Amino acid sequence: MKWYQTSKPAVLLIPALLFLLLIVYSLVMAFAESIRSPEGWTWAYYGELFMQRRLIESLGYSLSITFVSVFLSVLIGWAVVRWFYSFIDEPGGKWLVWIPMLFPHFVWGYFVLLLLGQSGLISSFFYQAGWLSSREAFPVLTQDAYGVGIIITYLWKEIPFVILMLLPAYLQLPKQYGEVIAVLGGGRKEWFKTVEWPWVQPVIVEITLILTAFIFTAYEVPALLGISYPQMTAVLAYDWFYGAAWEERSYAFGLLCLIAFILGAIALLSFALMNRRRWLLSKSSHQY
Amino acid sequence: MKKRMFAMAGVVFLAGCNMTNGDQQEQELSDLTWDEITAEAEGDTVRLYMWGGDEGINRYIDDYAIPALKEAYDVTLERIPLDTNEIIQKLETEKRAGQDDGTIDIIWMNGENFKRAKENELLYGPITDQLPAFEEFYDTESLDFAYDFGTETEGYEAPWGKVQFVFHYDSSKIDEPPSNLEELSAWIQENPGRFTYPAADDFTGNAFLRHILYGTASSVDTLLEEPFSEEFAAGESAGMWVYLNEIESNLWRGGETYPGTLEELDRLYSQGEVWMTMGYNEARAESLVADGIFPDTTKAFVLEDPGSIGNTHFLSIPYNSPSKEAALTAINFFLTPEAQLAKLDPQYWGENTPIDPSKLDGDNLAGFEELDRGATVLSQEALLESFVPEVDAAYVPWIEDEWINEVVSD
Repeated sequence: MKWYQTSKPAVLLIPALLFLLLIVYSLVMAFAESIRSPEGWTWAYYGELFMQRRLIESLGYSLSITFVSVFLSVLIGWAVVRWFYSFIDEPGGKWLVWIPMLFPHFVWGYFVLLLLGQSGLISSFFYQAGWLSSREAFPVLTQDAYGVGIIITYLWKEIPFVILMLLPAYLQLPKQYGEVIAVLGGGRKEWFKTVEWPWVQPVIVEITLILTAFIFTAYEVPALLGISYPQMTAVLAYDWFYGAAWEERSYAFGLLCLIAFILGAIALLSFALMNRRRWLLSKSSHQY
Repeated sequence: MKKRMFAMAGVVFLAGCNMTNGDQQEQELSDLTWDEITAEAEGDTVRLYMWGGDEGINRYIDDYAIPALKEAYDVTLERIPLDTNEIIQKLETEKRAGQDDGTIDIIWMNGENFKRAKENELLYGPITDQLPAFEEFYDTESLDFAYDFGTETEGYEAPWGKVQFVFHYDSSKIDEPPSNLEELSAWIQENPGRFTYPAADDFTGNAFLRHILYGTASSVDTLLEEPFSEEFAAGESAGMWVYLNEIESNLWRGGETYPGTLEELDRLYSQGEVWMTMGYNEARAESLVADGIFPDTTKAFVLEDPGSIGNTHFLSIPYNSPSKEAALTAINFFLTPEAQLAKLDPQYWGENTPIDPSKLDGDNLAGFEELDRGATVLSQEALLESFVPEVDAAYVPWIEDEWINEVVSD
């Protein structure tokens, strides 16, 4: 019993550690596959990876879609929380935000396809109502060259996520600092600079990281709403993995390992920086 | 050293799965008589992994084969829908991980997937000489069964069906369908946005591209006779890329994107966005029309020049199938005239049979001859007249890659 008392945290961590073990194991195996060729160990796949125009264009396409989706999600989500957080905290508001969260990305992607496609619900309705001369006159919003359909789906799904992540931070804002600032003659600018931003910044960085990692590597939505070329990286990796050519399987592993490594490094770096800031905050703040 | 460490990790991790010894079982199996095999199969479960994108095919398995097999042999059949290349990948991964007790009992495939499975020794066999139905009702010497897209089958797969590639069109919108590539190109020009084809990594899309290759190469015969090499293929395909790039701007969405799968093309067709669809099964529109997915005015056509590619598709057993006896029993059942006749029925699959009619007795033969395949199916003469065989399986992945470079990436 005493042993259990003293090592309780370790015991409670076991399930998480086992789960992590599985992930580390698959990462190691995937890496091994990416540097193994029939002739032995080789880095050739990584070198060849960047000679492929298909990959270069895919990276550019993925990065821009990821950037736009994350930037807009965070911006809009943040704005909504900032100005409406008292409303969202009420049951009605909470439900409104929760509904898109209940559906998986794939279902939501399909919903967007059926709603916004050229033969979708909205275009059919406009056509029936006589507002469109033909259904083809409806703008191409899904499976389009600029990834509009993908971005719409992600915004629809991620803005609620941003709101729900930021809501607790805003509800717990130390309001008494506002009075201090007012007494010292500061305005809204000082309030934002000294209280609000330091308070929400760690959460925003965390959300940005989660969304970037997720959107950059997710498969379903771009597979459903993307175009044949260029493809987002996850779709390309999937094609390589399941394609008929044997050696392309190693490209898929190489590509995914590379992405995992880069995202992992960014995450570690920002957590290291964040923790320092959190530590400073905890040293300087008061009880409330 | 490193290599050994990884191997060790794999072995330790998967040790729990290696319970039975595959080799021993195989030796025993080939010594058994057919009665012993079916007796052994009783009460077993067979997992059939197959492409699941066609409702008629799925219904044939679910509504006909599963109950019939249960009743005749007490074998439980499970249909697991998965794209064929993913099935092969799964099997390859199992082999890499040393998992001798697998999860797949039967695979439905042909062409480049069979080539890959055979080259990587993923299959159990030979199996055809153990199947009484194959010996009795099929022309065992036929070249259609000895070669699969140019790969020698050597008994590792049993013929399940025979199909031909056809186009389907909405006759309320098109009076006269095109009959060769020039007419198709002209039609596309006159009706911008009304035609497209699935991407090259889709089974049907790739088959469509092979038709273009046949029609634009120097001659179909040299294409079929000459062994595959990249230089030869590059020379023969020059006309194909010109043709595809020419029609591209008048395709659906101006060729900016292509349907990723046949299902997606069918959806576009059923919603009237495009006016033609296609498929590697001359009878597949029958059940889609009956279900109201395709318009009633759907009709079929083939391109008389370069013709309509046809092939045989097969059933195989993976090397690590946990119940090979039951798998053999099920495959034998699928090859019997009864199961083949039900497969030909348009309310299910509607697909042609590889059976040799001269080996059928009166009752069985009459059943095949009397069956009406339905209004959307072309006559047997029209199909036979346009029939052309498949090219080497190596063209399939080659077209897949080159299509990305030559057509979609610019």
